[in-house]
Amino acid sequence: MLLMLAPAVLFFLLFAYVPMAGIVLAFKQFNYDGGVFGSPWNGLDNFKFFFDSGDAWRVTRNTALYNIAFIVVNNVLQIFAAILLFEAAGKWFRKIAQTIMFLPYFISWVVVGAIAYNLFNFDVGTINMLRQGLGMEPVDIYNTSAYWPFILVAVSAWKTLGYGMVMYLAAITGIDTEMYEAAEIDGANIFQRIWKITLPNLMPTVIILVLLAIGNIFRGDFGMFYNMVGNNGLLFASTDVIDTFVFRSLTTSNEIGMSAAAGFYQSVLGFATIMFANYAVRKYDKDRALF
Amino acid sequence: MVMRQKRKLGSLLLAALLLLATLLTACGGTKEKETAGDNPAAGGSDSEAVTLKMLLIGGKPVDYDEVFGKLNEILKEKINTTVEAEFLDWSDWTQKYPLKFAASEDFDIVYTANWAYYNDQALKGGFLELTEDMLKEHAPKTFEALPQTAWDQAKVNGKLYMVPQNSQEVIDKVVLIRQDLVDKYKLDPVTDPATYAEYVKAVPANEKGVSGFGAKPADGWKWHELDDVLLEQQNQWSVINTGIPLAYSLDDESGKVFNVYDTPEFRELLSYYKDLADNGGWSKNIVNNKNDVWQDMKAGKVASYAQNLGTVAFNVAEARRDTPQYDMMFVDLTPDKYKTSAISTQNGLAIHATSKHAERALELIDLLQNDREIHDLTMYGIADKHYKPIGDDRYEPGPSAANYTGFSNWGWNSLLNRTDTSYPKEADDMLASWQDKVHHSALETFVFDDTNVKNQVASIGNVMLRYAIPLEYGLIQDLDKGQADLIKQLQAAGLDKVQTEMQTQIDAFLAAQN
Repeated sequence: MLLMLAPAVLFFLLFAYVPMAGIVLAFKQFNYDGGVFGSPWNGLDNFKFFFDSGDAWRVTRNTALYNIAFIVVNNVLQIFAAILLFEAAGKWFRKIAQTIMFLPYFISWVVVGAIAYNLFNFDVGTINMLRQGLGMEPVDIYNTSAYWPFILVAVSAWKTLGYGMVMYLAAITGIDTEMYEAAEIDGANIFQRIWKITLPNLMPTVIILVLLAIGNIFRGDFGMFYNMVGNNGLLFASTDVIDTFVFRSLTTSNEIGMSAAAGFYQSVLGFATIMFANYAVRKYDKDRALF
Repeated sequence: MVMRQKRKLGSLLLAALLLLATLLTACGGTKEKETAGDNPAAGGSDSEAVTLKMLLIGGKPVDYDEVFGKLNEILKEKINTTVEAEFLDWSDWTQKYPLKFAASEDFDIVYTANWAYYNDQALKGGFLELTEDMLKEHAPKTFEALPQTAWDQAKVNGKLYMVPQNSQEVIDKVVLIRQDLVDKYKLDPVTDPATYAEYVKAVPANEKGVSGFGAKPADGWKWHELDDVLLEQQNQWSVINTGIPLAYSLDDESGKVFNVYDTPEFRELLSYYKDLADNGGWSKNIVNNKNDVWQDMKAGKVASYAQNLGTVAFNVAEARRDTPQYDMMFVDLTPDKYKTSAISTQNGLAIHATSKHAERALELIDLLQNDREIHDLTMYGIADKHYKPIGDDRYEPGPSAANYTGFSNWGWNSLLNRTDTSYPKEADDMLASWQDKVHHSALETFVFDDTNVKNQVASIGNVMLRYAIPLEYGLIQDLDKGQADLIKQLQAAGLDKVQTEMQTQIDAFLAAQN
């Protein structure tokens, strides 16, 4: 049994624990001669840039809010789709629907960004062509930051729907069918069965998935935000997340220590959140906590 | 059973710890070895076969294998060396270039320039310092050929990190326009900012689906692409570091720097830009544009863009060959103003700080610049295929010219360069007419060291991207408020502190010169 565990242990050692030593960079004035361990220490200087910039609060808030929105919207939709497919459909329809919904998961963010550009472009975008065809005024999506929270949440939901749905579908399939049979004999209708049997039995899966997601609540999905928004300054107010902010700072000023500091900040916040969330779950139901 | 499991768990943990320790020491070990490799004396003589890795900017040419294959045959014989080049594509080189250094990747020679992170990487220790002795011994011909001022211009804090190109260049920017459209709509000839504005507005008004002006902004570049012409050249200012909006006036001997955004000239330019933007002069989504502007111009989708004379002159030559239906011509919008001569660091090659073959790399650079055969091959490709040599100093593009071009082989521009016979005569004339207007400022070789204010500089860069770019591209309706916001945000980001620091360094620099 332990042997079977070994690959996972090795994986996390190599890709999670060993690189952790890189945290020291957050407290160093990195130069090429010294490298990671030889560069001189500079205390908390690297963190100053992040907090003095006045953007720390904005990007942290954006990151957390987007991730909360993603977690809530995506999970609700995924559960909804899973129940719908489980209850409603024949085998063939289920398989085909599953595949179609899963497809976007495999599309790279770069491609999604290009598709979005062709949809939203002011001059030749599909949406504005349609609107003009219907005699409506074109909308300037790329220069209006108010649209973007909705666009990003919608795109994220579209992209992850199939993946999450399959997980929930598996969980539903695992529910003991005797319960449904008994409920049916007792005269429960389909909504009562969903409400009283399917959802309560899904709760452990939901809790685990949400807990795992909460640990990453301060990490923005860089691929998504960067490819959808790019360096369009007008949209930063509502779309800048910690990761895109740090990326811009690293590539234009090219200071590794500073981005390590921001990464460290994300990790600390993420650690605090997951400890708190786990504590809250423990309080509510000891058996369902992660640890 | 439980005992056995515990023991197993224990040994597993032990093994994991051992692995961890090995890995950590291994990391430390490589680092030390690399530092030892810094020693240029480790290069040895030509007896040892060496493969030099070279990092260049631009797309990989189609016929790379053929040309560099031939180059390697020659180099193998001459200095027992082969070269492997890696290309950072134009679309994302600004992101990849610094990462190559940060990741300490293995390469020996790297293209660099004052516009391509030269000062930045030099200050961070990315390049190997080149001493006079090293140059005299391993690149004697280049050391002879290049004037002392060129070497001096390439020094950062008194130390040399680059073998600069050997070529006189004037780098003022001009705009490339479509003369056929000017004629078609009977516009006034484009000669200055006002007539240019008429042109940029007339094109989208008459030609459906064509933008008056095109640019690829917000790829990290923090200015409107006409700013070089309409802000700097027009007002005879010089921006010291493109990541910071501080400039000095060329006429001001004392080199006093000021915030360019906080000037009436900038406010006036904003109105000019806004007028163009509101009249469809450029796409509303210009800051999300991912296309190459020159390709858009060739495709007839864009009717003008701004670039330095050398580049647009080649564009014109290319257009005359490929798209003769478009009569492209470049225009100097600021003909009466000072011209700035390129300092030698406009193009060059540097040696990576961790290169183990610094000596060989210098020998290679020496050959690239001074060996006729190698220079011709690397600059123009294979004779009668990519180019036809004409005499000693001219050439004609060959049938496959397009398959060997488009990357930064300008790094070894030298006196052996040939001129394209199709290179527009107008460009030579324009360059000649500029010569007596070239202005040499005492500060032209000044390099700002941002070590003390790097937090502020990082924030300022973000502010420029977020507030200045949309404002300049006319995407913000209220210009006065937009300008006030921009200035306020810059101050919050610490521009005053940077200005003080820069002024201190400038004063010291000027004092040392006199």
